[in-house]
Amino acid sequence: MKIPEKLNAPLRMAIVSMIICGLVFPVAVTGIAELAFPFQANGEQATFNNTSIGSYLIAQEFTAPVFFHPRNDSASGVDPDIMLSSAYAQIPGISNSTGISSSILHGIVDNFVSYTMFFFGTPYINVLQVNLYLVEHYSSVYSKYVKAG
Amino acid sequence: MHTLVSIPDALSIVAVWAIVILMAWVLGGYLYAIYTGKKGRLDRFFDPVERFIYRLAGVDPSREMSSKDYFLNLIILNAFQCGLAFVILSFQSYLPLNPQHFPNLSWDLSLNTALSISSNTNLQHYGGGSSLSYLSQMMAIQFLQFTSAATGLSVAVAIFRGFSGRFGGIGNFYYDFVRSLTRVLIPLSFVAAIILVALGIPQTLNGYVLVKTLEGGSQVLKVGPVASLVSIMQLGTNGGGYYGANSAYPYQNPSPLTNWVEIVLMMLIPTAVIFLFGRMVGNRKEGNVILVSSYTLYAIDLVISFITVTTIGPGMEVRFGAFSSVFWTVTTTAFTTGSVNASLAAFNPLVILAAFMGMLIQATPGGIGVGTMYMLMYIVMTVFIVGLMAGRTPEYLGAKITPRDVKLAVIAFLSHPLIILVPTALAYSMGAAGAVGAGKGPVGFIEIFYEFTSAAANNGSDFLGTSANTVFFNVSTGIVMWLGRFIPIAVMISIAGNMSGRVRNIQAGLRTDNLIFAAVLVFSIMILVVLTFFPFLVLGPILSYLEGIPNGL
Repeated sequence: MKIPEKLNAPLRMAIVSMIICGLVFPVAVTGIAELAFPFQANGEQATFNNTSIGSYLIAQEFTAPVFFHPRNDSASGVDPDIMLSSAYAQIPGISNSTGISSSILHGIVDNFVSYTMFFFGTPYINVLQVNLYLVEHYSSVYSKYVKAG
Repeated sequence: MHTLVSIPDALSIVAVWAIVILMAWVLGGYLYAIYTGKKGRLDRFFDPVERFIYRLAGVDPSREMSSKDYFLNLIILNAFQCGLAFVILSFQSYLPLNPQHFPNLSWDLSLNTALSISSNTNLQHYGGGSSLSYLSQMMAIQFLQFTSAATGLSVAVAIFRGFSGRFGGIGNFYYDFVRSLTRVLIPLSFVAAIILVALGIPQTLNGYVLVKTLEGGSQVLKVGPVASLVSIMQLGTNGGGYYGANSAYPYQNPSPLTNWVEIVLMMLIPTAVIFLFGRMVGNRKEGNVILVSSYTLYAIDLVISFITVTTIGPGMEVRFGAFSSVFWTVTTTAFTTGSVNASLAAFNPLVILAAFMGMLIQATPGGIGVGTMYMLMYIVMTVFIVGLMAGRTPEYLGAKITPRDVKLAVIAFLSHPLIILVPTALAYSMGAAGAVGAGKGPVGFIEIFYEFTSAAANNGSDFLGTSANTVFFNVSTGIVMWLGRFIPIAVMISIAGNMSGRVRNIQAGLRTDNLIFAAVLVFSIMILVVLTFFPFLVLGPILSYLEGIPNGL
């Protein structure tokens, strides 16, 4: 009788702690998150023509020469950002295939800059933000994607 | 010499340290109040909840436990919790909340995962986003992340009671465990989770989202109950991410701001526990000695990691930049959290050397609760060594340190190299290293040595990741993680139980509450650890550095 008695309390505590930590806690957090921050809670989805076309936080594939392209070697494999220098390097090609002047593209890119250390550090841009801006503001150039969206 | 650290970078380290130490000082006072049973306004809410939990489990939280009793209850509870998680992972396809219809995990992967999370290691041979159901993420992973953190806190409190000799024993395990959950981990994680959601981390039970991208391709957005997991995995120094890429994956760490918030979260409780120690032994200077010593060791790691320039490159995330990636990597090993925000293979060998130092010392300041425990292990050994040199009786906190204490501390210390080096050698001799395509040359040696060091130190960062999902690595690291977790805990609780009733002659021996002792302590830790592991560090990161290998990519 001695051994089962010793195991009784830990077994019951294990089950109680599983219910509290593994079910009550995450469900409560989910409830509040969905009510207070629905955009973030569902993955910061970008919308175009009222449809979700992906997430600002997750890189999506861009292959057409009219778009800025993400990198594909990063740790997560879905790095949504590129360094500003890499964006600049892509500008001549994009300008060629879209007819939008390089100086305008520079201006657009500069508007979307963030820094790795808030105001210091390496400048970078979010690829989807910039591409979405281009599609929204140059609908004639990007008519193919406007319709698809 | 050109180094990576710019003035804003250096200032950011100072700012983060200042914020953490200030928050930890406040939290330390709170921890002292709840573990010594001080009455407070929050009792009206917490007392009934806790009484209900005690009744459900059938425990008496007021019963004083012997050290053996305390440890047995602790390890049996952990074994049951581990078992419950094992069952959930093994049968997730039959259970609810599996919108992606992921299959069951194999027995060895379930075993490895349950042993890993329950030992506060969080070595991950599974890819969370591509193989775990929502229920598994919640009721296996998050569950064990809470309970292993609560176990760590309980261990610390019990050991502090014993070392101080002011509480008539080491206390009751269930009292410490339940209070750690209800009054510390759940409220803090709750606040942290809501902040993380506000900053962009998903938290939903709706399934993955299939979208048509701007170019017309299709993409799956892997959302889920992420924020509630990330909050406890950082606060509890667990480190096991929702995704295989851990905190490099943007849904787990979307911005430079969340990166800093997560760094603060992982540093907070281990630092607060040091302040708790000072209060519990009745001399805050004793806590300050540990604080200064552990942060000095942490600073040494940082200096090593910044000797060579790291530039942003493959394996790193653009939004964090090179500096924050290195700072995170050193911090996550210094606090034995093990979450990563970049691929370890992206770093130069000196960053990896710094990461090794954190995991080999385990007290810089180390994991939740157990970091300070390891510091006390080093203190017992240091006081003994200094006592021999000075010809005085070794004493700590006014109590004599007996030969039995020293022998036990040495057992705890030596168990670490034993459970790292033996399986590392086995991985080579049994061909298991080669079978997963690793182990060639100094870079390959680093990968295998790192795997077992991380397992033994209950850290959890690794090079191998899902490629180590083989029976050999699942079983071997599983055993190493539990031994690395519970041998030192058993030994240190035993020492604490012995010390609790010992006669105290204040200030008869060497003073341990001043900076001179802190310096001696840091020096002896460096000597002890470096002497033990030097040949292996030479074969791995140091040889890589001398050969001019830029990184493991």
